[in-house]
Amino acid sequence: MADKKGNKELKKTSNYVNRELSWLEFNYRILGEAKDKTIRPFERIKFLGITASNLDEFFMVRVASLMDMVHAGYNKPDIADMTPAQQLEEIIPMTKAFMNSQYTTYNRSLLPLLEKNGLHVITHHEDLTEEQQNYVDDFFDKDVYPVLTPMAVDASRPFPLIRNKSLNIGALIRKKDSNEVEIATVQVPSVLPRIVHVPSNQEGMEEVILLEQVIEKNISKLFLNYEVTCAHPYRIMRNADLTIDEDEAADLLKEIEKQIKQRQWGEVIRLEVEESIDKALLKELSQQLHVDKTNIFPINGPLDLTFLSKLSGLSGYDHLKNPKYTPQPIPELNHDESIFEQIKRKDIFLHHPYQTFDPVVQFISQAAVDPNVLAIKQTLYRVSSNSPIVAALALAAENGKQVTVLVELKARFDEENNINWAKKLEKTGCHVIYGLVGLKTHSKISLVVRREEDGIKRYVHLGTGNYNDVTARIYTDTGILTASDSIGEDATAVFNMLSGYSEPASWNKLAVAPIWLKNTVLDLIRREAENAKVGKPAHIIAKMNSLCDPAVMEALYEASNAGVKIDLIIRGICCLRAGVPGLSENITVRSIVGDFLEHARILYCYNDGFEEIYMGSADWMPRNLDKRVEIMFPVEDKDAKAQAKHILDVQLADTLKAYILQPDGTYEKLDLRGKEKISAQETFCREAVERAKKEKESNQEKRVFEPITNTLSKN
Amino acid sequence: MAYQMFAAIDVGSNDISMKIFEVTAKWGSKEVDCVSHILELGSDTYRLGYVSNEKINELCNCLNKFKDKMKEYGCKEYRAYATSAIREASNSLMIIELIELRTGIQVKILSNSEHRFMMLKGCASTMEEFDEITGRNTALLDMGAGSIQISLFEKQLLTATQNIKIGSIRVRDMMSGIESRVTNGEEVIEEYVQNELGTFNTMYLGDKKIKNVIAIGDEIQALQKLAPELKIQKLMTKDQIDYLYNKILNVSPQDMASKYGIPFERATLIRPAIIVYRILVETTKADEIFLHDITLCDGIVADYMDTERKYTVGRKYEQDIIASATAMAKRYKSNRPHVSYVSEVALAIFDAMKKQHGMNRRQRLQLEIACILHDCGKFINMQNVANNSYNIIMSTEMVGLSHKEREEIANAVRYNTLYLPAYQQVKDSLGDASYTTVAKLAAILRVANALDRSHKQKVEKFSMQIKDKKLVISVDTVHNITLEAALFKEKADFFEQIYGIRPVLKQRRNV
Repeated sequence: MADKKGNKELKKTSNYVNRELSWLEFNYRILGEAKDKTIRPFERIKFLGITASNLDEFFMVRVASLMDMVHAGYNKPDIADMTPAQQLEEIIPMTKAFMNSQYTTYNRSLLPLLEKNGLHVITHHEDLTEEQQNYVDDFFDKDVYPVLTPMAVDASRPFPLIRNKSLNIGALIRKKDSNEVEIATVQVPSVLPRIVHVPSNQEGMEEVILLEQVIEKNISKLFLNYEVTCAHPYRIMRNADLTIDEDEAADLLKEIEKQIKQRQWGEVIRLEVEESIDKALLKELSQQLHVDKTNIFPINGPLDLTFLSKLSGLSGYDHLKNPKYTPQPIPELNHDESIFEQIKRKDIFLHHPYQTFDPVVQFISQAAVDPNVLAIKQTLYRVSSNSPIVAALALAAENGKQVTVLVELKARFDEENNINWAKKLEKTGCHVIYGLVGLKTHSKISLVVRREEDGIKRYVHLGTGNYNDVTARIYTDTGILTASDSIGEDATAVFNMLSGYSEPASWNKLAVAPIWLKNTVLDLIRREAENAKVGKPAHIIAKMNSLCDPAVMEALYEASNAGVKIDLIIRGICCLRAGVPGLSENITVRSIVGDFLEHARILYCYNDGFEEIYMGSADWMPRNLDKRVEIMFPVEDKDAKAQAKHILDVQLADTLKAYILQPDGTYEKLDLRGKEKISAQETFCREAVERAKKEKESNQEKRVFEPITNTLSKN
Repeated sequence: MAYQMFAAIDVGSNDISMKIFEVTAKWGSKEVDCVSHILELGSDTYRLGYVSNEKINELCNCLNKFKDKMKEYGCKEYRAYATSAIREASNSLMIIELIELRTGIQVKILSNSEHRFMMLKGCASTMEEFDEITGRNTALLDMGAGSIQISLFEKQLLTATQNIKIGSIRVRDMMSGIESRVTNGEEVIEEYVQNELGTFNTMYLGDKKIKNVIAIGDEIQALQKLAPELKIQKLMTKDQIDYLYNKILNVSPQDMASKYGIPFERATLIRPAIIVYRILVETTKADEIFLHDITLCDGIVADYMDTERKYTVGRKYEQDIIASATAMAKRYKSNRPHVSYVSEVALAIFDAMKKQHGMNRRQRLQLEIACILHDCGKFINMQNVANNSYNIIMSTEMVGLSHKEREEIANAVRYNTLYLPAYQQVKDSLGDASYTTVAKLAAILRVANALDRSHKQKVEKFSMQIKDKKLVISVDTVHNITLEAALFKEKADFFEQIYGIRPVLKQRRNV
């Protein structure tokens, strides 16, 4: 019997996938979108750009941390029994193969496709026409030259600091009257756009060239008394994982400010160069930068493909891009009444970006001016620049409300931005708190305390995504607005805890990480397993970004063996194996990659017919469950529950954008033969438009001008 | 608006906490927020004798945060109290002063009996079954940091209360001292606790059977968390206590903190608490302990509502104070008919003189207690009754009374029979007591006492009337009251000195 298997069997390392390799699989799925001929060309460019920026981040954080472990002599194998050194041995060649694939797609598919559609990317400055040459030379003299800082290296001048992720041109130069070769370097200025438009003499053709080509062409102007023997672009990546010992940092804020500056000084973990780079130059560069051969990445094409996101944003070409989607209003909300009155009547379910993020902004901005509101509390993890929420919080503080904002300084790569907001908010009189030592605050919660006729009333927004109005147009997230007393009390307790007060004795509704959330999730999974064991139907559907927590995965295997049907919708990393006989036959895993970034976390449990739905901020990863403050909350309102369940159902029915995890660990798209073509994201867009339209129409029907009938009789 | 926001602040020995309440005349109080900050002021005081600057700073920072929290609810009304950690600190007055300077919050130091009485109020006002449980003989155990307080209830009324210095921090610190020297630290401590409780047992319980034990205090939450398998809610059986006792012997505070989510400082206090619970249950032979998880903050709001008198309060707490004074008088074999007669007369005088004496409800209560206890000193010796009574009252704790109030009662009893010297001569011996209050109480007590000099309650009916600077006491009796009348004159002189009104005795023989 499968369910009699001991835990030992489930813990076998072959049952799990290394998370870095699973992540690389994920980036391959995005690359798959870039290769997909059914997708519009400019969207494909965008996806290719995303794979590049993803890979950058992967290197800076994951590869860097593996290298740190190797340096520190840390040898503990991961869940799939791979030591850090072994992982690097696999990852580096795989990444190189991946990058090959990226550039093949770029050179062979996308560049010709763009040219066919009237956009010519000139890959080498040697290919410029005479007119274009004159144009770029002139552009170089006027606009580029003044901002360049060429630096030659000799005995008295050491090799300069090369900034992380910056694009540079390295050159070998020789004094005109000597034989001595020196190395020189110049940064491709980040203040200038990378894409340079050049005049075209072809009818209906737009031609562009990359900035580094323009500089390369004019490089001799930088070293007037020298002869430039060769010049090639290169780019480096440094170790950027930010590890702070919070117990020792007396002032967290200052410590992080210092770390940001230090980040540029980290060890070089990747050197990207053109395939055709001069051997002597490469040798010189790798010596100066202390890079060994495995970490040199020769590239057949322009370095740093992240410029593709800019390219995909070029104006025009509308027929080559997806039509722009406008987030729809929420039918349950009107603009006539205060948002609090409406929330008090009924919980409001939000599904972004299909539905607008506006109610969340309204929630805070109406609170800021509502005379009955006493206090506003909110967590901020990543905020947009010019965030309307930050502005509303500042206004609220100026209006005398008690505003408490938890700004998470440790949000990766956003530290600088967050420190700025923190300072700005403090100036307006908000209480800014920085969370708990050792725990990143990842939960997304805001609380409004209002004085009402019959007592203090609390209003809460809980969500799966950040309070960021810009990303809310791209990330798919869910949330609820509720006036539930028990959730309100819990919300207060969450903020009390974040303010450094003792934790509450118990929670009404919320499951909070680090202490309670993991057990709640495990209990929910086990409850289904118990039901399955006694022959009751049992079903779990869970949607998230990543799954790699060992305890949770083991519980899922156990549940699968007990007969629970488990459908997982996991966008990114998944260390669990699906559909393996005797281990996970009842588990399916699918990943949806689409125009919007899948980001919501939803958990459905059949619970013997008393279905329960939870949403939250946490992925099922050890870092989320053990090292962060996260919240999982139940969706209790009947309609809200139905909407959440509908999201899961439609995603499970997706046949166009879903990749299915195979027992061997690879992902494959469905064979469409005989199946209805369904794209979940498109379905949600269509439904949101329809619902908003229906509501608008029914409102218009309601509007009737009422004749005054009573006045006459009164007279 | 029909409700008011109220903040109850407890500057305790283990932590500082605040609860915010919505208070309505009709529905009572509703907790809307609760915050606490662990700060062991107690360990400073019990070890060093004073509270260190470091802790005072942390305390002030925390109170300033509390002020922000009050603003979050638009809450302006508050009461802030400090208990033994500050009370027993040598720098207590400076701490209170510093707190006010730095935070603007006025903290009042509670005497032990006031503190315990507030706990009792909190318990009675929040525990639904309180009256039902205390209908049978009940011991209420209030576990504090420095000491425990055991209060006994008979027929719903408080009859006795005793403070024993075996609080959780004190026992813990004692244990850590002992454990470094011997291996069976638990047993030594148990013996100690057993001995303390045994004394209490012989003194107060005698052959009375205690049926119920109610436990209140900070340790209860931790207990519930420690054994989730027992699903302890409101009731803990003897077996469960034994189970918990065995469990804590094997689980270190570190484990309690990591496995059960109990804050470490709290975890260290569970062992002493369970030892006390276990021995108390054995001593009293109760089968189970009712657990009621309240904090002083609940007591503060109950006390606020009771003393502000704006709100409906179910329980008459003064009855508890009177009942415990009566039980005390009984223990010292006071003549019961005499005592209650004197009380009746004294209160009648008090009520008739309301406009003239300018005293309040609280002082009426003091008068009543003074009457109840006025001759308890006879228990020791027929000679020198006044001083004996004074000493008994001064060394017996009475729940619900401040130290000052008790000192006034004791002095009123002393000067019931002794000559009251002039203020200058007597002020040093009065302590906290107010001279005028003592004099006023003694004056009424003397007159009332005179009316029953023979201890025979000869006068069955009486009435009081104020007329032309005279208090006419008309008595209906067929008995000969020569003894009473003779003594009355002397007492009346003193009364007149104090109030400017002369009591006059008028006998009617209408019967």
